[in-house]
Amino acid sequence: MRISRTREGKPETALGSCVVRRVSVACVRVVAALVLLSVAIQSTPVHAVEAATSPALPPKAASPPDEPLTRDRRVAAGLVLVPGVAVHGSGHYALGQQKTALALLITEGIGLALLIGGVSTVLASGNSRHLAGPAVAATVFGSGLVLASFGADLYGTLATDGDAVDRLRRPPPRLESEFGYRYVADPHFDYGHFVVESLTLRRGYFRLTPSAWFASDASNVRYRVEGAYRLLGLAPGELGKRAEHLDVVLGGMHHRYLPERFQRSGLELSLDTRFDFSRFGDTLRGSFIDLALGYAVAKVTYDVRGQRVPADTDDLLLARVGLGVALRGRAAAGSEARVYYDHRHDDYAAGFLTPGRVSGVFGKFGADLRWFFTPSLGVLVDAQVGSALVGGFSLLLRDGSSRTPGGSP
Amino acid sequence: MNRRIGRVAWLPLLVALGCTRPAEERTRRDLDVGHAQSAALDVEVASGLAALRALNRSQLALWLSAPSVEVSLVVHEALNLELHVENAMAAVELTDLDVGRSLPLASGQGKTKKSWLLTLTPGSWHFRLAAPNAAENSRFRFALLSDVQEAIDRVQDIYRVINAEPELDFLLGAGDLTDEGEVDQLEEFQRELATLDVPYYTTLGNHELAERPPAYQDWFGRANFQFVHRGVYFTLLDSASATIDPLADDWLDSWLANGRKSVHVVAMHIPPFDPVGTRNAGFASRAEAAALVAKLAEAGVDLTLYGHIHAYYSFQNAGIPAFISGGGGATPEHADEIGRHFMVFELDPASGISSSKVVRVDL
Repeated sequence: MRISRTREGKPETALGSCVVRRVSVACVRVVAALVLLSVAIQSTPVHAVEAATSPALPPKAASPPDEPLTRDRRVAAGLVLVPGVAVHGSGHYALGQQKTALALLITEGIGLALLIGGVSTVLASGNSRHLAGPAVAATVFGSGLVLASFGADLYGTLATDGDAVDRLRRPPPRLESEFGYRYVADPHFDYGHFVVESLTLRRGYFRLTPSAWFASDASNVRYRVEGAYRLLGLAPGELGKRAEHLDVVLGGMHHRYLPERFQRSGLELSLDTRFDFSRFGDTLRGSFIDLALGYAVAKVTYDVRGQRVPADTDDLLLARVGLGVALRGRAAAGSEARVYYDHRHDDYAAGFLTPGRVSGVFGKFGADLRWFFTPSLGVLVDAQVGSALVGGFSLLLRDGSSRTPGGSP
Repeated sequence: MNRRIGRVAWLPLLVALGCTRPAEERTRRDLDVGHAQSAALDVEVASGLAALRALNRSQLALWLSAPSVEVSLVVHEALNLELHVENAMAAVELTDLDVGRSLPLASGQGKTKKSWLLTLTPGSWHFRLAAPNAAENSRFRFALLSDVQEAIDRVQDIYRVINAEPELDFLLGAGDLTDEGEVDQLEEFQRELATLDVPYYTTLGNHELAERPPAYQDWFGRANFQFVHRGVYFTLLDSASATIDPLADDWLDSWLANGRKSVHVVAMHIPPFDPVGTRNAGFASRAEAAALVAKLAEAGVDLTLYGHIHAYYSFQNAGIPAFISGGGGATPEHADEIGRHFMVFELDPASGISSSKVVRVDL
């Protein structure tokens, strides 16, 4: 498989095959499906990037729709529900956006295929040790695509201010910092209040993000560092039509539980991507899906009083799906709201519990909101529900020197 | 209006909070197991180690969860009472602890059902149900069978092989006895047990949770409990929701303290760590899993036994020998070629595990 990318001043290059080989088959299939989907539906290049210094483009007018079944968006929104809950894209079809409707329907089809394939693989194989990882990843992504195509249909049917999204484009910041508070309600651990800090540095297509969570009584601390290379997408100083990317991320983590007498240290590798739904049509400007897939391995060491016990090795599947929208109105560029599912089970929120038969398999569900008051100052509010509840807020600071099109900050 | 909206807004938070302790309700129900009161007499089973199946003026019926069970009665009026006991060891005796003598058996149906006729005068009575060798600190064998689920119709094959195993004291279960845990399935499970020559002491699994609250505890007793047999401590925990409820976790602290100087076996349905971490058939929280393992290691637990995964795995957590044995007949994991199976362990109260083996049924 060859995936080409275009960057100003750089020739097309094949996506580093060595990277691709190291990720699971499921990941390659999902990424390929998304790329093929976009290529099939769009004739524009995968990434047409304009330099930050280039003059800003005027807001793109919505492509003329085909003859609509209705011009009433409320009726179209109703059609998003019936029959749209089963046939995604119904709202757009009713509004005459047939190309967008078809793209959403295909996305739903891919999602259903992944979902059914994943679940049936788990059931048919008796949750085989060899197939469970790819099958669960397919199930997560399949569910995400099905929900995304439905959500995008609803969004595009109701949203009328796509031009505002275009005006709020901005390049990725070179520097971004977070300082905040989180409360963790976990009935198994005494901690509750955490100070959260992180710093993101970008240089070219590289990103480095060290972060830490400190319990207020110092009984628990989690350090984490992420290094990422942007395979596709924008670097600081680059302004594109779409804020999407494909990153390869290498992470390291050390988590200490002093009272419980163990610590967990690990490494992880993942592919992290954001797909802008505006590729499917102008009505979807400002909506996106985040996908991440990877593998983590950790060493669990025990500090048992009076004896030395062997450490354990523990691994886990990383899979995350997020659906989000860019915020406009009074929000500055980079503001967005997102809901997501994160399959990881080794952080504070961990996996979701239910009182029924299926408990512990699922990861956590979460939502976050980034609201920038100015180009450089904002807040992050987030909440997660897993076997613990996590919620809080952070102050966000970033370099505000990057220009946005149209001259507005 | 605003107040009403406020109440609605809190609802998801309350639901979410409830989901952090999905096992709380049934853990609290453990406290009700083994206690009952009637006009004629009050019954108290020590540590809740038996489920009360019937209590009236003429009969007290118990389903035992352990080889040795002590029962206290407060009799309010003179009674002729039939004490009917199921899931008992073949050699079980009833001892009147107040006078220190065994009472004659009235009838024995099969090897695990026994009855005694008691003439009780008003006052307090204390009895012990136990095999004569229950207090001997000597080597013994037990078997482990879990995850029968929908294969209950074929379980007799397994019971025949278990019955053929020499000198088994009992069968231990790590949950998923039935497909859904509904009453008719629990009845069927009990009917099928009639041919088994040894008692089956179990906790529940996630497949017993279709009904809420689960009927399991009414039938087979506590989900979290500890018993001692021939000097070895057995602790069974309810991990059917991929977590241990904090209340049970508190009980575990004292149970671990009890067994600290003895050989100690801990069993539960869902293992803290799935040996195949990417599958995540373990606890929902890897942190909770590690905290539990650290606690077990510090208490010197000698053996951990699990079900849930329909295969056989042998591994270690923090150096503690661990076995997953989900060979009761539920849909097998395809990479595992062992199929239906059970395990047999020989324990020495002085030194721990003497031997373990996997017994395959479909050879």
